[in-house]
Amino acid sequence: MKRALDQVVDALDIETFVLCGDEEEARQIGERLLAELNLPHGDIVFLEFNGCGARLRLRSYLHRPGQGYPWLSPQEET
Amino acid sequence: MKKVLLAALDPVHDNAVKLLNRKLSELGYQTIILPPGVHENEVIERAIREQPAAILISRTLGYQVAEILGRLVDLAEAAGLREHTLLGVGGMAITRELGAELGFDATFTGELDIEEVVAFIEGKHLAENRQKIRFRHEKPDITGGYTYQFKDARIEHLLDQITDQILEWVKGKTTPAIERAKIRLAFLQEEGGNFLDSNHKRAGEFLERYLKWCGPQVQAFYREGKLPEGVRRLNAAEVAKLMARLKQMDCDSPRLPPGGGKPLVFVQYGTGCPLMDSIHIKTVEAWGADGVLHFDPSWGAQQEGLLEGWLSHQHDGTILTLENLRLIRSAMQPTTLWNVRGHRGLNTPEVQILAATAGADLLKINIPYGATAGGSDPARLTVDGVYSLRLAAQYGLPFDIPGNDELSGVPPYKTFAGMLVMVMLGLKLGAKPIPKPLLCYSPYMQIEGQMEDNYVDMNTAKLAVWREIVDAPLWPGEPVGFMTHTADRIQSAVTTAAHVALAAGLGVDAVTMASSDEAYSKGAISAAARVDTLRAVRDMLRFMGNCRFQATPRAALIQEQLRNEVIAVLEKVAQRGDFVAAIHEGLFGNQQDGLYPGRVGRDTVMIA
Repeated sequence: MKRALDQVVDALDIETFVLCGDEEEARQIGERLLAELNLPHGDIVFLEFNGCGARLRLRSYLHRPGQGYPWLSPQEET
Repeated sequence: MKKVLLAALDPVHDNAVKLLNRKLSELGYQTIILPPGVHENEVIERAIREQPAAILISRTLGYQVAEILGRLVDLAEAAGLREHTLLGVGGMAITRELGAELGFDATFTGELDIEEVVAFIEGKHLAENRQKIRFRHEKPDITGGYTYQFKDARIEHLLDQITDQILEWVKGKTTPAIERAKIRLAFLQEEGGNFLDSNHKRAGEFLERYLKWCGPQVQAFYREGKLPEGVRRLNAAEVAKLMARLKQMDCDSPRLPPGGGKPLVFVQYGTGCPLMDSIHIKTVEAWGADGVLHFDPSWGAQQEGLLEGWLSHQHDGTILTLENLRLIRSAMQPTTLWNVRGHRGLNTPEVQILAATAGADLLKINIPYGATAGGSDPARLTVDGVYSLRLAAQYGLPFDIPGNDELSGVPPYKTFAGMLVMVMLGLKLGAKPIPKPLLCYSPYMQIEGQMEDNYVDMNTAKLAVWREIVDAPLWPGEPVGFMTHTADRIQSAVTTAAHVALAAGLGVDAVTMASSDEAYSKGAISAAARVDTLRAVRDMLRFMGNCRFQATPRAALIQEQLRNEVIAVLEKVAQRGDFVAAIHEGLFGNQQDGLYPGRVGRDTVMIA
């Protein structure tokens, strides 16, 4: 069976809320989170800090347009 | 008709069983509905007496849900009911996994789907039943029912003057694009394939003639096999795998407007890769889109000539080749409408030919826009544009007229004047135009303070002024809600949905909508982002139903102002007596508006 990650068409988004003191801290947490999760080509898509914490959306493109796509292969292929 | 026992195993929440009761009764089923708060024992006792064909249970509260429903299933089993009575469950607390685990014959989740319930009661295999339901049966004609009569004689007269001058001016002129288009057309008619296919006897001869009118990059591609930077060929195995996956998909789905009807909803694609595009198209079809628009890369529009083959690259826009277009078309449902844009650039006539050959339903041509914000030389695009309109007429394909130059800061009345010229020009050449006024947070109107209170008045006025001028279809784009989107996907989906609902309420024929990645520029639009907005639009249209937004009296004032200013622009253009010069001189948008005459293809117009 293929890895679940191979079935992701393009991007993997992570949405969360982090407690932090300001926007810069939120950005650093987001970047650390991407690194800790070992996600390739990570980026902060959206960040909004308001008083107590920040709404974050992080993105990693697992398969970019133009690359080879593991999801094209049948399910049983590894 | 069969007997169905309905019960809410819930202290108060029995709306679902009441709704089922009404719908099943209307279909002729004999229903027995038990009051909310009924105990599972009572349900089984009643079932023993009535011997229904099916028992449908609803449960909203999550508290002790597994225990209560588990007891019901056990009691039904013990009473011997299961041999002849089907057991179905649904409700907010129910998941498909829970229903299956507890032993129900069917579990219903999400919004009530009466066809699914009926199939269950009738003991039909759901998947088999599903295959018989088709939500889209035919391709709608957006232009159908419109007379294209001008309601404003003054505007009609001005447009008549302007377009007569254009048609006179282009007489006896040609361009490299037109010469290539003629060769391409002759080659397609004779050989029907591509230049590099050695099976075609005269391919080499046609190619040599074609390359005479091509730029160095395209010549290098055909002569030396050199690909432009970042472009790669897709191999046959990749394409075969895609086709195999597509065969497993059935993406027919209910249309977004509840009950069907207007507007048709279009989504733009152009990830850079036709394989990825195909999957995105299947995704938007599955979530209810009616049509898609092909976006090509800007570099492709700035070189003379088109490449061929299955080509992919890692930038915005998918390369225009006949093979890419055919591959993408083959991925679509037969009923999906398809627009291929050729409104700017050096290959406009040829794009119409390839699009029509590959099965496009709609084309896109706008000379004033393409010759300013689109970057093409005004003289070149005027000659190419008129030729392209003739092709559109020949193919019987409607063409749409985007008004996106407004995004540069051009006042909408100047944009509308240019679009109106295209409407009249298209009509004179026998084509069917579809104006696309932009529903957006108009940069010019922001500066003028016309959108400080709300976004409804301005956009209502924009559509109303078109209705006042000509009896033509309207297709706001491109996409609606431009300049209102942020990288927050919820916010972005909400503003898109609000604009679609506003447009739908104003009776438009179609809309082009964005994904929730519209404002995110650091990567390709994701498939998930397409689902976000389609989901939001479906719910917003459901929420609105036949209700309408109520504009303030200001909308009528803006409408009147727009109309007067459109007339003023057309008067200046008519008075100038030279359409190309009018574009150069900024009558459809000048440097102060953020528009400059395009330069690509300058000095390439030739005497035929």
